[in-house]
Amino acid sequence: MKRYVKLVNFEFNRIAKVYAVLLGIILTSQIIGVMITANGYLKKADKAMNEDMMSKAEFLQMYGQMDFHNIAYSIWFIGPIALSVAAVAFYIFLIWYRDWFGKNTFAYRLLTLPTARLNVFFAKLTTIVLMTFGFIAFQFIIYPIESTVMKWMVPKDFRIDLTFHELTQQMLDLGLLYPTEPMLFLLHYGIGIIAVTILFTVILFERSFRWKGIIFGVIYSAVAGIVIFLPLILQEFLLNGYFYPSELIRLSMLAGVIVLAGSIALSGYLLNKKIRI
Amino acid sequence: MIEVKNMVKKFGFKKVLDDVSFTAEKGQITCLIGVNGVGKTTIMNAIMNLTPINGGDILIDGQKLNKHTYEKVTFIPDAITMLPQMKIGEAMEFMSDFYDSWNEARANDMIDFFRLNKNDRINTLSKGNTAKANLLMGLALDVDYVLMDEPFSGIDMFSREQIANVFTSHLIEDRGVIITTHEIQDIEHLIDKAVLLDNGTVYRSFDVEELRENEGKSIVDVMREVYQG
Repeated sequence: MKRYVKLVNFEFNRIAKVYAVLLGIILTSQIIGVMITANGYLKKADKAMNEDMMSKAEFLQMYGQMDFHNIAYSIWFIGPIALSVAAVAFYIFLIWYRDWFGKNTFAYRLLTLPTARLNVFFAKLTTIVLMTFGFIAFQFIIYPIESTVMKWMVPKDFRIDLTFHELTQQMLDLGLLYPTEPMLFLLHYGIGIIAVTILFTVILFERSFRWKGIIFGVIYSAVAGIVIFLPLILQEFLLNGYFYPSELIRLSMLAGVIVLAGSIALSGYLLNKKIRI
Repeated sequence: MIEVKNMVKKFGFKKVLDDVSFTAEKGQITCLIGVNGVGKTTIMNAIMNLTPINGGDILIDGQKLNKHTYEKVTFIPDAITMLPQMKIGEAMEFMSDFYDSWNEARANDMIDFFRLNKNDRINTLSKGNTAKANLLMGLALDVDYVLMDEPFSGIDMFSREQIANVFTSHLIEDRGVIITTHEIQDIEHLIDKAVLLDNGTVYRSFDVEELRENEGKSIVDVMREVYQG
């Protein structure tokens, strides 16, 4: 356990600098997004009222008040979020392959530490989860700042203030990242974590058997996918809605736990018996 | 004692190691000798459970390898096994964090012995100094067995001398060492036991001293017989 914590600390530090830069990009880009969007709106208002001689009421009726959605759909806001998602997705692979490639094969060290090799697996998994929740929390924290900047720029009559909750509720993509129900939160991120363990298993298949491993990996992910969706598949095609919704959820969770445990057990086996430097 | 018993290793359908057996005792330096590609590194990797084998057994003090074994046996591969952006001091900290057998005092001795600087980053070191830092990470562990893969390859003359000196120093003393090399000259006089590999099998394994007394031959003489005869 002690070594697991140290490994997590070590793994996180390895990506910390890049991570800090990403956080910086998110903050900067989104603040710029707020300013550009607010500026654009104000210019439009200025033109409408001063050049086209509209009244304030007419303008508001025609264009509506500004709210944070105007900003949230801009590339400045959603772009860095997409970048972070891509970065995590990419790092799921890099977190393993960086230990094999390059002049210094660090895998030698990691695999000869006097601790269970599965701890290396868990440390890498934890790092990915920490990165993800870090982004989620960061966005949550900087939203009030961004929303304040908008308040400074846009006069009260021209804007609608939204809480973060109101913002994400109405946006499908952000809503996926910020489910409002605790159950949904568990579901979204539970599926996410299971998906990462499946990918890790695929990577370990590849690291153990190289080209052949990719084939094994693809087969394993297909099997894992089928097991996870088995309750849903049965419900839809075979049993004609035999289960109650609550039963279906419980069965799906069970299937998820089975796949999670299977992936961990298989990864442990590969790390201990099949892995190649 | 490290025992390699009837080890078989295949890459695809090709048997690269076939029925390889030898032992390495504590307090002795055992040298795996063979041309490049004969499977020396594979044997080392297999002992450390870094590559699966297709047959045979590997025992360390009579036990199969497990996670605790890594406090007892260490591997020094031919490239340094630390992150290149780490300073030597940070790499030492990493080792002391993870290994109970890390001996800080000895590590500092070796820093002096090799004239290394703890504040140097690993990726800025010369080849020779990288090899020395690599040795340091392995030899500063209080382990019974040390596996070294080609510690002399691609290193300048003075670094080679320094590294060769390690073998006669207290840094090695009572430990069991398995070393691979294709440049036998540097350490011929240090070796207790030679294991000659050819075509994936052990061609001959012998006690160097006995051979000298009984047959009047050196390791190089036997190598000539094997590889040129």
